[in-house]
Amino acid sequence: MNNKTLVNSKLVCVALNDREQLNAMDSAFNEAPYKQPPTEPVLYYKPRNTWNVEGAAIEWAKDFDGNDVESMVVGASLGVVIGKEACRVNRSQALEYVGGYTIVSDFSLPEKSYYRPDIKGKCLDGSAPVGPEIISAEQIADPDGLVVTIAVNGERKSQFPLLNMERSVAELIETISHIMTLQPGEIIAVGFAGDRVPVAKGDQVAAAIEGVGTLNNTLGGA
Amino acid sequence: MRRARIVFQGNELDITIDANDIIRTSAGDVVDVSLESDQITWLPPVKVPGTIFALGLNYADHATELAFEPPKEPLVFIKHANTLTGHKQVSYRPDGIEFQHYECELVAVIGKTGKNIKREDAMEYVAGYTVCNDFAIRDYLENYYRPNLRVKSRDSLLPMGPWIVDAADVADVSNLRLTTTVNGEVTQDGSTKDMIFDIPFLVEYLSKIMTLNPGDIIATGTPHGVVDMQPGDTVVCSIENICSLETRMVSEQEYYGDRY
Repeated sequence: MNNKTLVNSKLVCVALNDREQLNAMDSAFNEAPYKQPPTEPVLYYKPRNTWNVEGAAIEWAKDFDGNDVESMVVGASLGVVIGKEACRVNRSQALEYVGGYTIVSDFSLPEKSYYRPDIKGKCLDGSAPVGPEIISAEQIADPDGLVVTIAVNGERKSQFPLLNMERSVAELIETISHIMTLQPGEIIAVGFAGDRVPVAKGDQVAAAIEGVGTLNNTLGGA
Repeated sequence: MRRARIVFQGNELDITIDANDIIRTSAGDVVDVSLESDQITWLPPVKVPGTIFALGLNYADHATELAFEPPKEPLVFIKHANTLTGHKQVSYRPDGIEFQHYECELVAVIGKTGKNIKREDAMEYVAGYTVCNDFAIRDYLENYYRPNLRVKSRDSLLPMGPWIVDAADVADVSNLRLTTTVNGEVTQDGSTKDMIFDIPFLVEYLSKIMTLNPGDIIATGTPHGVVDMQPGDTVVCSIENICSLETRMVSEQEYYGDRY
């Protein structure tokens, strides 16, 4: 864990929250092993060993034989920072529990399957930079109106309007806070563009949200 | 030595318990109370819990019970401290479900930082052992990141303790009897010798993926014999030479009270 991390105690990420991705994968999700599309938000954790900061170099992952992996990808999300304890809140009040907003980049192995928890792909050391800072909630009138972009070496590779999310920020806070009581400083990465962006060693990755900031990281191993 | 965290006479204490059941504070003062006393409130025994790794389908007989082939690679999922509660505390049954069951599990607590730990060195990284009950709610399972957070990340559904036994005091952790009773009746009777992926394997496996740190917790899975739990039931998960963990089931409304 990076000691300067902005995350307190928990970073919950929401997978498969891009409506276009859900539509594109609908037939696959009706087959084995999934059998039917998800009926609830699909959640995963980036645990404490993954937490990192603005400007950090991201380690290139190794496989189980100690060799560099062939490919890595990055996704970026709005990070919703909980401002006060949130236990079983309704979506109509959910945004009152938000203390601020930031950006979460999720570096990982490519998402090949959603069937089992993806510990190997998602739990890489230092793979979850969060930042560059936390913007207070009052400065963002409508979090669902934001657009998340990813640029690699200065070239835009991904643009994800949060209006394309299957579930809104408030709806996610409602659902997640009925599973677990959320504490101040815990962060929810509410949604990633379905197409994760391939990255290479030495790449400079900039995840940006207008009004929230730009989170810059470099891939190591070059 | 055994190590625990309790609240006693209004004070939160880190305690040790010796072979004669004498309780001492971290300052060395004797706490004059019996381990069985209702004056003790047991807290989860890991003071600063880190990442909690839990194993699914890590006993062949339980995998078969759930109609799965035993896995060729560990099925690992992550939990956080919101799920933890202590010995003789309550866990809740969500409203409107059909099947919630206990999972009595041996827990290894990591004591030092390591990455790429070799199997033969793995036990040096384990500070001690305890017992947990990694409750599951089968109604909430979906085939996405299964078992999902809706099943495995709920408040109070990972009782742990009452204490951690120092690793040095456990002769052979791979051959311990594991039993569960519900309202006094034995419902699960297995042995840690039937684990598919043992603790050295798991430490090596996880540390190939990521750095393990002190306070990280590995819950190693449960054997055959799980039954439905209802509010009012008392479940006791026991592992020979480690400890017995008692939990009382309550309804969702009773658990959340004013926040329900």
